[in-house]
Amino acid sequence: MFVTILILGLVLGGTYALLALGLTLQYGIARIMNLAYGELTLAAAFILVALMQGFGISPLLTVALIGPVGYVVGSLLYTVMMKPLVARSSGGKLDVDSILATFGLLFLIQGALLMVFGPNFTSISYLDKGVTIFGVTVALNRLIALGICVVVGGALVIALATTRWGLALRAVAQTPTSAPLVGLDVNKVARQGFALGTALAATAGATVAMYQTFSASGGVVFTMKALVIVIMGGVGNVGGALAAGLLLGLVETFVATAIDPGLTLAATFAIFLLVLLFRPQGLFGKA
Amino acid sequence: MLNVRNLTVSYGRHVALDGVSIEVTDHEMVAILGANGAGKSSLLNAIGGRVRIGSGTMDYHGLDLTKCSPHELVENGIALVPEGRGIFPGLSVAENLLLGANPKRARAKVDQLQEEVFALFPKLAERRTQIAGTMSGGEQQMVAIGRALMSSPDLLLLDEPSLGLAPIVVQEVFAALKGIRDKGLTIVIVEQNARATLALADRAYLIESGRIIGSGKAEDLKNDPQVVRAFLGGAVS
Repeated sequence: MFVTILILGLVLGGTYALLALGLTLQYGIARIMNLAYGELTLAAAFILVALMQGFGISPLLTVALIGPVGYVVGSLLYTVMMKPLVARSSGGKLDVDSILATFGLLFLIQGALLMVFGPNFTSISYLDKGVTIFGVTVALNRLIALGICVVVGGALVIALATTRWGLALRAVAQTPTSAPLVGLDVNKVARQGFALGTALAATAGATVAMYQTFSASGGVVFTMKALVIVIMGGVGNVGGALAAGLLLGLVETFVATAIDPGLTLAATFAIFLLVLLFRPQGLFGKA
Repeated sequence: MLNVRNLTVSYGRHVALDGVSIEVTDHEMVAILGANGAGKSSLLNAIGGRVRIGSGTMDYHGLDLTKCSPHELVENGIALVPEGRGIFPGLSVAENLLLGANPKRARAKVDQLQEEVFALFPKLAERRTQIAGTMSGGEQQMVAIGRALMSSPDLLLLDEPSLGLAPIVVQEVFAALKGIRDKGLTIVIVEQNARATLALADRAYLIESGRIIGSGKAEDLKNDPQVVRAFLGGAVS
């Protein structure tokens, strides 16, 4: 049972980590707290299902393409909706404005999803055969989802830490006022950060569709969990978000398996409250 | 050639610069001297695209600086070391320098530029993995100047590089500035430390209440009794 919890927990945690990574990039680089984040995740999940059921397109192909599509959508969203807010903001105004604007966007996307896909729970059966690993039988689709999260999340963390492009993103995230001095266009980098976050939301959403049941009204849960993980990992701490995401997946799976599935959300927020009370800088942040 | 004509800058109703004109020829080091609040930094920040100008023209080798955003200036060879340094305190020395070489004009010769910066500031080579924000003020100033040089600039704008530094560190910074000047960069420097600056600069402009009240060769100004009284009296050498 321990190994079962470990593996299933890592699968769930991988998706959470990817979700949190995207949210922390959007907030850290573009300074936009995107409350419609979970809806973007769900939109990707629904697209994967629709493409598979309607056109017979392999979910793996969708997973590979949904990231770039998410990037373009995020880029457009930033240009059309966020840039005017950024342009007129000064001081802490962008925080409030972006929360209100994306709160509206949440209902817009949710309404569209409800209209197109209906209110029912959706799931697909894809590569649903069991694979035995460390003596435990796990559905293949879950293992693939975990693999995708590890590859995408890992590649991004390495790129952020080692490439010139990653350095530029970190520079803007940490000290945007100094960025123009080295020729960085803060607006452009912010757009890239927001777009990248959307790409991660979409990729995570596609992995959700591969092994989970979801509905059009459940986006807020993804946003909340991503937010909880970001705060647990330390705001702006990419490695912390990954670790906290995996941790939350493990805890939720443990609570659901060993105690009661109904308590998973309660467990999430119990951890959240404990972190806020005793380590507001995050589990991995500096005191 | 940097050509600034009739520049006006206001903050609300306060006029910081009132019809300022300066000219800087290539490979020349020009100092802007003046008391606190005289408009020195406003002038440099206007050239560096960091404050909105009211009227006037600014031209650098045919480039209209009034139409450039700050990040475009670096691409065109104009590097600013602002007051307060503007480094990335959360990143390492090496990362700060690498970011300095972010403009396209510098990317191909990062290694060569970094060698030059390390030759100028050997301390930065020793401390390359240190997080910049944990360094002393003087070392952070070296990071700021080094980072500006990493962009392979033709024109270097320095805003109070010695501000808040211990006298011995000030000497170190000025020694480095001499090295930079001798490389043939065009330099515009704003300083309160008039004596040390005049010892290095070719020419200087004197600024008071947002107006240029005098200019001349550094050597002549050093010996001008009026200048000595107004700017050199209490200055630390």
